[in-house]
Amino acid sequence: MHPDVVRPNHETIDAAQLDELLGAYAAALDGQDWQAWLGLFAEECSYAVYSIENAQAGLPLGYMIDDRRERLLDRVNFITNVWAGTIEPYRTRHIIQRISAGRSADGLYNMRANMIVSYAERDQVRGILVSGYYQDVVQITEGGPRFVKKAVYLDGTPARYLAYPL
Amino acid sequence: MVDTSNVEYEPVRAAIAARFKSPLDLPKDIFSDSAVYKEELKRIFYGKYWHMLAHRAELPEPNSFKTTWLGEMPVLITRGEDDRIRAFVNACSHRGTLLEQRPTGCAQQFQCPYHRWLFNNEGDFCGAPGVRNFRSDFRKEDYALPELKVEEFAGLIFCSLAADVSIETWLGACGEHVRDCMIDDGRLTLLGYQKAIFHANWKTYFDNDFYHAPLLHLGFRVLGWQGGKGVVHVTEPVGHFSVGYDSEPYKDNGFLADPSVVETRGTDLRARVVALRPTYVLTKHVDTIGVRFVRPLGVDRTEVTYAFFGHESDTPEYREHRVRQASNLLGPSGLITIEDAAVFNRQQMTAADGGLSRFVNGVDQPPSESTQNDENGNTVGWAYYREVMGFAS
Repeated sequence: MHPDVVRPNHETIDAAQLDELLGAYAAALDGQDWQAWLGLFAEECSYAVYSIENAQAGLPLGYMIDDRRERLLDRVNFITNVWAGTIEPYRTRHIIQRISAGRSADGLYNMRANMIVSYAERDQVRGILVSGYYQDVVQITEGGPRFVKKAVYLDGTPARYLAYPL
Repeated sequence: MVDTSNVEYEPVRAAIAARFKSPLDLPKDIFSDSAVYKEELKRIFYGKYWHMLAHRAELPEPNSFKTTWLGEMPVLITRGEDDRIRAFVNACSHRGTLLEQRPTGCAQQFQCPYHRWLFNNEGDFCGAPGVRNFRSDFRKEDYALPELKVEEFAGLIFCSLAADVSIETWLGACGEHVRDCMIDDGRLTLLGYQKAIFHANWKTYFDNDFYHAPLLHLGFRVLGWQGGKGVVHVTEPVGHFSVGYDSEPYKDNGFLADPSVVETRGTDLRARVVALRPTYVLTKHVDTIGVRFVRPLGVDRTEVTYAFFGHESDTPEYREHRVRQASNLLGPSGLITIEDAAVFNRQQMTAADGGLSRFVNGVDQPPSESTQNDENGNTVGWAYYREVMGFAS
């Protein structure tokens, strides 16, 4: 199902850590630093990209469903070792804004953040690649905040085929 | 009003025909000239071709509907109380407002928001405020939604404005491959959609989507799926194409950290691709069943909707496997199919250079003897297109 916005609550949340994580996430994607991207996920983790259209209709299909860490590793492997030279590369700018966060009984944060991603091909800015939001579960570990679960929900059809995670 | 389209098309047609001497050598203008595109709407999208616009699983119960497009014409597909599937122009017959804007849903009636005209899901005009003041020659029969011809084949819904043969005849020998690919027992279930907009002419998309030279697919190579041995069928004269081959199960060579995503867990090990002219593709790869619907967005952009299906008999685990496989392997961002997209766009970037797109590999032999890497699977359809568009004379 299409998840609801996390309702604001009055308990203290570690906003600085969450925002630091979102900033590092945007930097990793926009810099195409795939090892840094992997490093922002907890050891047991999942990553998926869905359309809101499917989610609202109760349809489970996604654009990417990496439901275990090994799938994330394989995605990075294909981007760097299989597709390079065939696919048309593009640069992105992720503009991310946390809109709500709350802490659950198990100590994990449930966070929603809006996002807009612009893209450029052959050094020309093309426009907006996607808009949508992240629905995240975040764990604060000794090494810093990490995504346990990251689901991306897209407002509509991407402006071009997606080669890289969002 | 005088129809000037022939006047506009004729010089373009003649110039292209002078260079379009054979279906082996395509003047690239056909991928970039907007006059050709406009004429294709008339002769192909609104002409005698059958167009695959839906699957019955998208209309799961009586009164389900789906909205889509045939070329640039909005289409409303309904499943009536009588279980019959119908298709209409999705425009109010009064002032032309788009009648239904939701992609799918359930409705017995459709009301236009502009003047509250009401239509049932059989396309009949049912009433409107102020009917007594309507023009004196108003007959409600004249204001039913314009209906398209509809025929169903293997659960697929085909529509046409001007077909003069049945879908069975249109598909010819390819029909059995369609049935085989779509697990034709009426029990498929919809898993969802992936959509992509390619910066390519609709023919560029189609001609390079169904023809899968494994040379392109480095992904095939690392998975040990070298092709080339598939059995190819080309249905003349229209040029429908199908290829089937026994897919080799992935042998763990250490390349994938998670080989489960490419496992075949079902008993059906045969892979197949069926391509239906003018522009529709069916696939059955590993445990995925996919249908690609196509909508041209002008001469140089094409929207492709990848719909994936499961089966009513799937266990929850098998369904989940199908979902993650379809989501990761064979859509527009799939580990395998993403490599096709790059070719569509890169071909379109050269489409206005006045050159030719040429077929060379294996084209001297008859289509009946072609193998998977040969390019004569494409050329029968191009010969038919050349005739339909008037380039052969």
